Order: sequence, then C-alpha cells, then structure tokens
Amino acid sequence: MTTIALFGNPNTGKTTLFNRLTDSYAYMGNWSGVTVEKKVGAIKNSQLAVVDLPGVYSLNPLTKDEAVATNFLLNEPQDIILNVANAAQLKRNLLLSIELLEFGKPTIIALNMIDSLRKLGISYNLDVLRHAFGCNLVATNARGNKGVQDLKQQFLQAEPDLTPNTFKLEYSSAIQTAIKQAVRGLQRNYNLGEQFASWLAIQFMNANKAVITYAKENNLTPLLNQQPYYEAQHFADKIYQARLEFIEATLKEARQQAQNPRITDITAKIDRVVTNPVLGLPIFAGIFFLMFKLTFDWVGTPLSNILDQFISGPLSSSANQLLTTLGALPFLHSLIVDGIIAGVGGVLVFMPQIFMLFACISILEDSGYMARAALVMDKLMSLVGLNGKAFIPLIIGFGCNVPGIMAARTIEQPKERLITTLISPYMSCSARLPIYSLFVAAFFSKHQAAIVLSLYFLGIAVALVLAKIYQSVFHSEETSVFMIELPEYHMPQANIILQGTWDKGKGFIHKAGTVIFGGTVMIWLLSYLGPSGVATNVGQSFSALIGRSLLPLFHPIGITSWEAISAILTGVLAKEVVGSTLMVLYHTAGRSMLVAALAHLFTPLSAYAFLVFILLYIPCFATIAIIKAETGTWKWAAYSVVVSLLVAYGLAFFIYQGGLLIGLR
Amino acid sequence: MALFVNLVITAAIVATAGWQIVKVLRKSKQGKCAACDYKCAAKKMMVDAKRRPN
Repeated sequence: MTTIALFGNPNTGKTTLFNRLTDSYAYMGNWSGVTVEKKVGAIKNSQLAVVDLPGVYSLNPLTKDEAVATNFLLNEPQDIILNVANAAQLKRNLLLSIELLEFGKPTIIALNMIDSLRKLGISYNLDVLRHAFGCNLVATNARGNKGVQDLKQQFLQAEPDLTPNTFKLEYSSAIQTAIKQAVRGLQRNYNLGEQFASWLAIQFMNANKAVITYAKENNLTPLLNQQPYYEAQHFADKIYQARLEFIEATLKEARQQAQNPRITDITAKIDRVVTNPVLGLPIFAGIFFLMFKLTFDWVGTPLSNILDQFISGPLSSSANQLLTTLGALPFLHSLIVDGIIAGVGGVLVFMPQIFMLFACISILEDSGYMARAALVMDKLMSLVGLNGKAFIPLIIGFGCNVPGIMAARTIEQPKERLITTLISPYMSCSARLPIYSLFVAAFFSKHQAAIVLSLYFLGIAVALVLAKIYQSVFHSEETSVFMIELPEYHMPQANIILQGTWDKGKGFIHKAGTVIFGGTVMIWLLSYLGPSGVATNVGQSFSALIGRSLLPLFHPIGITSWEAISAILTGVLAKEVVGSTLMVLYHTAGRSMLVAALAHLFTPLSAYAFLVFILLYIPCFATIAIIKAETGTWKWAAYSVVVSLLVAYGLAFFIYQGGLLIGLR
Repeated sequence: MALFVNLVITAAIVATAGWQIVKVLRKSKQGKCAACDYKCAAKKMMVDAKRRPN
C-alpha cells in the first residue's frame, strides 16, 4: 500500500480534497481547526491510502494538534506528500511547502482554490513554479471538483515510480556548513539517510519543538551539542528569511499579467458589517434567533407534529391491536406500548427539529460565517482572559459536548485548554433540544425561539463567568495567540449541507436505538415494579419512591413532581432520556398529550427554572468520561460534576425564588 | 405456554436494554459518545487520540 500524506495550512480545502480523492465524506467546515486528528481513506481501485492531517502553518508545532503533522513525518511511513496550498495566499502557504520539499519525499503541490485566484485577476505560470520547486504542481478547485481527476492520475502514474523531489534551497554559507557537519555526524553515528539527516538538521536549527524532542529522545548529539551555537547565530531567523526571499522572488517571476478582476471583494464588504465591533454581536445573536425560529416555529415543530400524530395515532393503535391479537399479556403490552413506543417514539418525534438545527449549523459552517463568529466572540472572550480560539470548541459543543471538548486541543496554553474543557459542558448540546421543545410548547408557545435563545445565551454567560473565575484562580499569565483564517464566503452547497446535516443528525437516531432505548426500558421497569412486586399504579413504583425521596431538595427550585426528578436522574445517561422518561412516567402516547400534562404540574416560572437546571446540571456520562480522558485525571471530571450541579441548583433557585419575589408565577 | 412466551420476550427486551446501557457506560469510560458509532471526525479523534504530553 502506498501512503499519500496530505499537508497544508488550515482552511486550504484539504478535507474537501481528501473527500474528493477518496470518495468518502469526512466532516468539513469552512473554518480552521476542523481536522484535529488524522483521517485515513483510500483511492478506489488502487493501492493508494490517503492520510489527511490537521492544518498547520509550519512544521514547528504550536499546539497539540499541530504536533500530529510533524510527528507523522518523524514516526510514520509515507511514500508521497501532497501539499495543498491556497492559491490565493501562496506567499504564506509556500513556507510550509519548502519544509515539506526539504523532507525529500516525492511531493505534489496542489494549488487549490484556484478559482479564487482567478477571480482576483491573478495567475501564475505553473512551469516556472514547477522548475523553482523541483516538483509537480496541479491547479485544483476541490469544492468545484476541478483538477481532482488530474491529481488522481498523477498519483496513479507516480505509484510504481516514485522519484524524490529535487528541491534544495541555498541558505547562507554558515548554515550550509552547519548542515553539512550535522549530516555527516548523523550519517556516521546514527545510520540516517542523507536527506532525512539534512531535513532534521534544518528543522533543528529552525527550533522545531517536535524535532528537538525527537533529537533528545534519540540522543542525536551532532545536533544537541551544537544547539547553543545555532541559537547564538540566530539560524531560525535566517532560515525563515531565506525561505521568504526565495518565495517572493519565485512568485514575482511566475506571476503573469493581471487580468481584470471579475468580482470586487464581496467577502470584505460582508465582513465590514458582520465583524463590525458594534454590530457583530447583535448579528450573531440575530442569526441564532433565526435558527431557532426555523427550528421551533417555522419548519421543525410543524414537521415534528406530523410525526407525533403518526406515532401516537396509527403506530400506537396498530401496535395495540397487533399485541392484543397475538395474545400479549398486560406487562408485555405495557412494555411495548407505554415503554418503547411512548419513550423512544416520544424522543424520535423531535428528529425534524434536531435535523433543522443541524442543517442551520451546516449552512453557517459552509458559508464561512463560523470563523467570523469566533472573531466576533474574541472581544467578549478576552474580557474573561480567553480568546476567540476558545469559542470554537464551545460552538462545536452546541452539537455535542464530546467533540467540543476534544476540539479544545487546538488551544496551546494548558491552563486555557483546561478552562475551555471545564466550561464546555455548559454549552447547550442538541440532546437538550427535545426537553426545551416540550416545555416551550407547553408554557411559552408564543415565544418559543426567544426562550430557547435565552437558554443558549445563559449557557454561554455561565461559561464565561466561570472562565473568569478560573482565570483568576489559576493565575494564567501566558495567553494563546488567536489567529483564524477568514475564508471567503461561499454560497452553501446543497450536497455538503445535506451530508453535514445527516452526519451530525444520524447520531441522534443511533442513540434512539441504543441509550434511549436502554434508558426507556429501565425506567419502564422501575415504574412497573414496586417494593411489593408489580405496582398497581405508577405512584407506588420504585421510580416514584426514588423521585419522592428527593422532592424536598427540589421543591425550592419549583420542581414539585417526582416524575420530573426521576427524569433528571436518568438524564445523566444521555440528556434525551429526560424526555423519554417523562413520556413513560406520564403514560402519554404522544408529545401533545405530554405537553398538556406538564401544564398542570409546572408554572411558566418553575418550567423555566427546570429548563435552566437541565441546561446546567451534571454532564452526561460520555462528557464526564471525555473530560477525564482530556485532562488525564478523574479529579477534574468529578469537579465538573459537583460544580455543574451546584451552579445549576443555585441559578434555578435564584430564578425561581427571585421570580416569586417579583410576583411572577 | 402463552405466559412463558410473554415472559421470554419481555426478558429478552429488558436484557437487550440492559446490555445497551452497559455498552454505553463502557464506551463512555473510553471517552466515546453514545452517538459516535458513525465515521465522523469526532469518532476518529476519539479512537485515534493518544495522550500527548502537554
């Protein structure tokens, strides 16, 4: 198997190209930091494997995820390097290309987003670039699937005959001499190949942290002994300067007569408004409001109602008839109809809303707005000692907290990373959506989108306040540098939106068949059985006993029904189970009936306090486990559980009691 | 006979549900999300993630 390693700056369309080459679909976003770990795919009908690595600006890693790319070169086999460069920003992109070419493996540079370059009225003579860089160059537009077949052909042709590239940059004589000396030592004492030894030496002189670690691990004395000399001579600066001069000279030579630009810079015009210091935040809030309008008022809920009518109507009654005909005894009958259909079906009716929300997030991602959202939030985040970089994991957490916490790896400062990990669970993930939907339909039918928006922003506000507290407790002095590519705005493409929506949403369907099903049957069992065997009514069941025992604790935050408490407890398994538990315990066949039942047990004020509690209380098991995995200790996972419970209770108490004091109900 | 069949089906459903919960808890301990059985970037991240020094 021949391995092609995909390298490139963030947001150069690497993942899109990877998907086109391998005919697979990997998560894409029109913003940086989407590929945090490497992805592997294969080119059909060939022996070619493609590895997509996280985007990096140079091989000198700043963050954990950037180290993945350099460590891949150091420790894993690769036969061909495919360097994806943004054609419209070649000066910066080619800095990485030089580092890759110096590695010596057969390399192809894909000048991607070539359409953006043409729109700006610029073109380059590819032959001049090929000659200067001693490797093959292909112009591609991965998004429009142009040039990808040519690229595939290059690989298929190159497969049997891999010729190393011939690139060699002339550094100053002092550096050249130092490289030669180091290479001699490395070849003689460590049996390294000349090309790899030369690359190691250059990277070491360039103060590449991953390479320095590698040299220490392997005790490469020809490099380690010379480290003070390299630093004293400022080799790193000189290497950078030599590379930059070479790129500028080459691009000047390759640049062809400018044509008339076909577009004025629409991106810049839009950005003047959406990233405006004053308008940026209201626009961000407005976009979210629109998203919830679509999810709850305009599209999601009407579709959800149709599904609800089907599940609580024809499906339930057919199942009833069938079970009666087959002679099912009452307990089996109850398990299937009151348990599985009511519980699992009761959660599945929220599918249209969840898919609608994911479709909106996919549109925002593909259009290029998400990067602007991070930029807009940078100012707000800096007030609490974080920056826009920390907002990316938080916004991913709106889908699911687990990948959100994993995305915190892109933050280089350990303390900032820990703070981001600890505040991520306060982001309202999509699993909470069914509960919001139930309660806003029951108590706030005219302001559904506004109430949900308030919960999302409350989650952000709590996260920011806690971040500020952690910042002062941890005394974090070093701060991360926030750099984000602002990609051009694209008209979102239907296939990418559909694929993105399905990819995010199918997890919800999968959960219905696994954890929601499991949780529902267990809660049915607890509601069917009691201390004296089969409970004659649900009020004498185990679930009622457990719920009632905790009632005094929840009374001050307005929760007076044991059913709601049982639902809170099962929600730790997965937040969707809260909804299915309520369905089972209230013995309702459909969403509309549950909405009516809830109206008798809560007031609008206690309902809002309940929603706030659900938003902020203990994260689900998967989130707790990922906090442990990312922080490396159960201590922070346990801390997160305790603090979230206290914060949820405190805020729900404040809202409920405060509301009562000012005469709300 | 009818009672026996009903009991067997009920036991099978309850056992399956219990097994699903056990599976979810086991996966959670490994840092995997219950929803992440599909080939998304998040799953790749979690499956391939090796602890790297800070």
